[in-house]
Amino acid sequence: MGIKIDPGKCTACMACELACGYHRDDAFALLSACIIAYRARELKDYFGVVLKEEDTLVIARPEGLEVKRIGAVEEDQGEADASAKPMLLREPCDLCADREGGPLCQTVCPVDAIYQG
Amino acid sequence: MPYLASDKIAVIDLATGSVEELPLSEELLNSRIGGAAVAQALYAEHEEGDPLVLGAGLLTGTLLSGSSLGLISGKSPRTGALAHAPLTLYAGLEIKYSGFDYIVIKGRSAEPVYLWVHDGIADIEPAAEIWNADVWTATQEVRKAMGDELIQTLVAGPAAVAGSPLGQVMINFWASGDRFGLGSALAAKNVKLVALRGMGLIEINDPEAYVAACVGLLGELKSGGWAGKKGLMDLAAGLGEADFAAWLAPLAHRHRAGFNTPFAANTFVFLEGDPKELKEPAAPEPGVLLTDLDAPLSLMKLGLDAKEACAIIRDCAKAGLDAAGLAELAAAGGVKDAAGVRGLMSAGDAPASGPAGPFSPCAPDKAAFADFGQGGPEWWRRRMALAYVFGLDPVFALMSPQIDEAKLIELAEVGAGLSIAPATLEQVLSGLAG
Repeated sequence: MGIKIDPGKCTACMACELACGYHRDDAFALLSACIIAYRARELKDYFGVVLKEEDTLVIARPEGLEVKRIGAVEEDQGEADASAKPMLLREPCDLCADREGGPLCQTVCPVDAIYQG
Repeated sequence: MPYLASDKIAVIDLATGSVEELPLSEELLNSRIGGAAVAQALYAEHEEGDPLVLGAGLLTGTLLSGSSLGLISGKSPRTGALAHAPLTLYAGLEIKYSGFDYIVIKGRSAEPVYLWVHDGIADIEPAAEIWNADVWTATQEVRKAMGDELIQTLVAGPAAVAGSPLGQVMINFWASGDRFGLGSALAAKNVKLVALRGMGLIEINDPEAYVAACVGLLGELKSGGWAGKKGLMDLAAGLGEADFAAWLAPLAHRHRAGFNTPFAANTFVFLEGDPKELKEPAAPEPGVLLTDLDAPLSLMKLGLDAKEACAIIRDCAKAGLDAAGLAELAAAGGVKDAAGVRGLMSAGDAPASGPAGPFSPCAPDKAAFADFGQGGPEWWRRRMALAYVFGLDPVFALMSPQIDEAKLIELAEVGAGLSIAPATLEQVLSGLAG
């Protein structure tokens, strides 16, 4: 079981990113989130979600999902880097293990683009 | 120290080139709550410097659904009165996390400058090289110079630099809700843009209770009429504009939300390439993000086809010109074709009367997908005042009766530790909405 993302539903609202930051920091912050909306290519309307798991980086592109091994990403940097803190330096997803209701990013996604499977 | 805040106000005096940092006083929060009401007070305090005030709502940038609102307040070149324009997409978020709760920009710089506000620092930087640049170029140049593609910019484009009353404050590349010519007010201060980046951390009074309340509220919101809908085409249909969807559909690509806003009220249209293609387009600038229903809807009603209309909106976005105001001007002049509309772009004119009241008419004048049990101008102004104080996206505020005054008072207590008496809220909302 892990987090799954439907990029076709995502609207880049960043609720997941803030929720994940809250899970890490007990405050509202974005730098420690392991799930982020990548949104730097706005002139092309090309946006999606990146999720860091223990061994993989899941990139939910508009045209579909791509899963990269962390080592391979280090070689080509992937999508990691329109954020202030590179994804590879962040803690991987722990599925909000201490939270009864499951991953908070899934709970707060207003369009149900995040699910478990 | 207040919660959900950075506890800092920047007062930038362009005439002297100085930046003063002041604490956000509890007295101000207790009497004004946040957002436009605080901006209104800061405007009055610094009125001698004809200030523009940037800020965010009390609950902006949190897990409250729809909490995307930043704002710019100042004397409108179109109305001559204090006006509040919404800054959504991610601009409100970046203001909230910039390390300043409010930024007062007063006086006039002797030379063109831009303001770089980040991590609790506000710098005044020379802008001669980008002064005449279009909005898109100016944003790209500043991001390149800072090496950060996520910097959000509030830009005065060439129309504003030329002093057009339709000079709009733009967000990055796109139209904001500014219908008051505040872009020209910014340019009149010799400020080309404000660059914002927020990497701060916002403490919460009672974190678990606040997040639980937001999650519970989202559960209620998801049963609302907006659920399953997105974009300007659905919004237009929800407002009774039945023809708009078919007109725009051939160009529509994806729909984009502002920060933590459940309804994605922005639609990207492709002017080149296949809008159904989801892979990254080869063209560097394939289209334009429509952030405001009025402009395309008004151009449609003039008789333009969608591609002509959206091309005009794209050119307005580059010029920093209020496309909705342009369309209104064209309608008033009986213009019915694209060439005629384009002919008005450089005229420097504006419709005879500006928006009525202090809030931007970029939000529809009635509820969408929802029944609030009331309506009309008075109700709309109060709803806008509520949104601009607490930090709600003004369009989503018209879809979400679940986010009512009692709920916001509760969230303010739990999240910000601010006890708001009903009488205080009444005073604040009346003071804004009239």
